[in-house]
Amino acid sequence: MSLFSLLSVSASGMSAQRARAELLVENLANAETTRTPEGGPYRRKDAVFTTQPAESPFSSIFESQLARPDGVGVADVVVDNRDPERRYLPGHPDADKDGYVAFPRINPAEDMVDLMGATRSYGANVAAISSVKDMIQRSIDLLR
Amino acid sequence: MLDGLAGKLEQYLDLLSVRQRLVASNIANADTPGYKTQDIDFQTEFQNAAAGLAPHVIEASGLTVRNDGNNVSIDRESRLLAENGLRFNIASNLMRDQIRTLKVAINGGSGS
Repeated sequence: MSLFSLLSVSASGMSAQRARAELLVENLANAETTRTPEGGPYRRKDAVFTTQPAESPFSSIFESQLARPDGVGVADVVVDNRDPERRYLPGHPDADKDGYVAFPRINPAEDMVDLMGATRSYGANVAAISSVKDMIQRSIDLLR
Repeated sequence: MLDGLAGKLEQYLDLLSVRQRLVASNIANADTPGYKTQDIDFQTEFQNAAAGLAPHVIEASGLTVRNDGNNVSIDRESRLLAENGLRFNIASNLMRDQIRTLKVAINGGSGS
């Protein structure tokens, strides 16, 4: 374990939060999508995180010495299986025989709040990286 | 070569980086369901480090557990992140001073 391996911990946090933000943005973009390759309306997606050992180029050498620090990764992407929202739009090309169209059940407020959370968490990881970077720089300065 | 103080400083810096590792993990896992905040008892571990024992990681107590079983408090972690950085800063400056003193001795007092 070295200070350098901490950088990959925070980097894993950043990439996990970015992946989550991607899904949230996708949800917002597809809030009105009624056609998907799988058929039916778009379904809301969300990321589930899990702890996983942080990857580091030199980790294998030191792995035996100390447990690798806990990073984070996307364990699963869960798809919302709730029934789609039905709106009465008889003129719509995707309307069923009763004139109802299945729209994705997406609440933009929910996704926006989650997106803010993801942004803040991303920022926290960036702050951790810059703090660790500062510590590394301090250690290097010992040589001067 | 360097005296006992430098050795203590080294242990202190080591322990700070262990704690920083835990803080970085906690921040990275701030949204992981079921994750519990990890920490070390700094005072005890510093005494143990003098005896050559490896630090023992514990779960931080007294934190509010959210619905998803996660109890990471970003405020707490930000504070520790800043505190560790400052402590590291102080200790590394002291260490640098020790090394500079040694350099002066090597050079026979003619500058550092």
